[in-house]
Amino acid sequence: MRLVAVVDASVNIPGLEDLTMYRSVASVPFAGRYRLIDFVLSNVVNSNINSVGIFPSYPFVSLLDHIGMGKSWDLDRRKEGLFFLPVGLRKGNHLGVGDFEALEEHMDFFRKSRQQYVVITNCFTVCQLDYNEMLDDHLASGADVTEAVSNGTSLRTYILEKSLLVHMIKTFRQQRVISVEDVVNLKKNYYTYNQYEYTGYHAIINSKESYFAESMKLLEEPHWRSLFLPDRPVYTKVKDEPPTRYMEGSSVKSALVANGGQLEGIVRNSIISRAVIIQQNARVENCIIMQKCVVEEDCDLSYVIADKDVRIEAGTVLHGTKEKPIVLRKGEHVMKEDAI
Amino acid sequence: MKKEIVAMLLAGGQGTRLKELTYTVAKPAVPFGGKYRIIDFPLSNCLNSEIHTVGVLTQYQPHILHHYIGIGTPWDLDRRNGGVTMLPPYAEKEGIKWYDGTANAIYQNLRFLEQYDPEYVLILSGDHIYKMNYELMLEFHKQNDADVTISVIEVPWEEASRFGIMEADENMKVKEFAEKPEKPKSNLASMGVYIFNWQKLKKYLKIDVENEESTHDFGKDIIPLMLSEKEKLFAYPFKGYWKDVGTVASLWEANMDLLRSDSGLNLHDSAWRIYSSNPQLPPQVITRNGEIQNSLVNEGCIIEGEVSNSIISQNVELRTGSSLSESVAMSGVVIGHDATLIRTIIPPNLIIPDGFQAEGKDGEVVLVTEELIAEWKGSDE
Repeated sequence: MRLVAVVDASVNIPGLEDLTMYRSVASVPFAGRYRLIDFVLSNVVNSNINSVGIFPSYPFVSLLDHIGMGKSWDLDRRKEGLFFLPVGLRKGNHLGVGDFEALEEHMDFFRKSRQQYVVITNCFTVCQLDYNEMLDDHLASGADVTEAVSNGTSLRTYILEKSLLVHMIKTFRQQRVISVEDVVNLKKNYYTYNQYEYTGYHAIINSKESYFAESMKLLEEPHWRSLFLPDRPVYTKVKDEPPTRYMEGSSVKSALVANGGQLEGIVRNSIISRAVIIQQNARVENCIIMQKCVVEEDCDLSYVIADKDVRIEAGTVLHGTKEKPIVLRKGEHVMKEDAI
Repeated sequence: MKKEIVAMLLAGGQGTRLKELTYTVAKPAVPFGGKYRIIDFPLSNCLNSEIHTVGVLTQYQPHILHHYIGIGTPWDLDRRNGGVTMLPPYAEKEGIKWYDGTANAIYQNLRFLEQYDPEYVLILSGDHIYKMNYELMLEFHKQNDADVTISVIEVPWEEASRFGIMEADENMKVKEFAEKPEKPKSNLASMGVYIFNWQKLKKYLKIDVENEESTHDFGKDIIPLMLSEKEKLFAYPFKGYWKDVGTVASLWEANMDLLRSDSGLNLHDSAWRIYSSNPQLPPQVITRNGEIQNSLVNEGCIIEGEVSNSIISQNVELRTGSSLSESVAMSGVVIGHDATLIRTIIPPNLIIPDGFQAEGKDGEVVLVTEELIAEWKGSDE
């Protein structure tokens, strides 16, 4: 138990506003039955880390509802476990991972934790990173800070000694730096740096377009196989949905489908979340349909992202493009006449 | 801590007629409906009926059941007061006393019940698939000022001789009870669901245990004894889906009932949800070769072949060229390429080789086993 984890859940992602009107980036749905934060929290528990601080910013009600006491991740512990450490309004929605002003608000968390090292990470990088392996690499390198990278892309995840982090938090104003990410990017010469090369699945969700593209990529076998690893499960909030019901006359191909659905229409190359209803003769192609959406009969949708609780009236035709998918916002009720 | 009502769930049954499916698990732990175990139904009924104190009596192959129920979290039974308590047989100064009959199992746990000093005790069995509001039954019991209320369901007359049959007057007061009568006088079958006034239950269990002739069974001994003593027995007419899944054929039928919208058994009804332990599994993957008609499929599955009129549990893999119809594939089953299975039940974790063929003919259902696969391999050579 060498590591304590810091999940910076208050990094702002401009360009994802359609999906973050009522929630933080951390609770954006992904891969049919997950929220973005599930992947990082699962990495934490799959790396045998028992102590994790989540630093969310407003609006975090949806995130709090999702995580609760951390039971689904086995983090509801007497000793250590999950700490929800909200960040003040002014300090939320910053741009760099490991924002010092935000961390400064919760110095107690660092003071009380017994671990020698800290991993600082984010919610918008979906991967299967093992922080323990990364720590071994960090220790072997002898560097002050290690950054996880994959093929030249930063995963914006950092490991350093806790005492060094505390020092950084105490001195960031004099040093004119704003976040751990900032320090690493500037490569200030009073620290030494190391890069840990990660080779597994990764997706960085930093815009509506990358959200859609990464989701569609997941439908390809090599990608879903490398994200859904039997020995490193992705944990999420438990819902008591029944198995998905495929009705007579339905046709579903190349799809990721969560439980609780009732599918009667045609689905091609799409991601279908929990408890979605797709009625008779509706066609859903290259779409992401989120929790509890209802696609009524005879609809024809392609390149559409339908957020949670969207209802699409019978006969509606909506065609986006691969580059510009149509986003239907949470709870929207789309009438046939609205569609162009 | 006093409780108005405590449920006692009899979950020690072996279920021999389920053959290989119960070699290593008790009948209530047998998988059902692609995600559930039989015992999820009475446990979920308890949660949905606001009954939060449940004793689960186990005996035959209890390990999976104990592990599965744990502290009762999926059914909201992880409580400081009450909650779920697993009640296997235990040893006393005189030695171990195995549960000998349903009534005896309750008798041996009188002390468990005494600590709650309940007004009423609800006796349930872990062998049936049904959704029932026990609160309504308790209301009925109170209104009639009954000593015992037995839940009954109308069964087809031609099947009545397979059940414990109640004859009741127009107020549903029980006049006569006959266990598996040759010539049934009514078609009201006991569902194995009883509400007893606690004091009466205690009294008759103590009388029954002294009777060496008794088989210590609620249906065969306790109910007839109470009738003969002129106690007030009422039959509560239950309307809805109920099925004893005691045989391979009836287990298959109940699974198939999930696919018929007119069967009365609907898992998608959020007003009466069935709760179950939720393993953390990825979404189901349907590949470009997959084809699914009128079926239920759970998470963690990879479907590359054809599925019709079937129930597919978690982590099932169906490879290309294979087809599964009118079948129940339990968790972890892997079906190789070009296999055909029609009217079958495939027990958990079975590996079906490429090209395997099995079909339940003339209304039969095939329970696929290691032996059957070995036989098929032998005949193939």
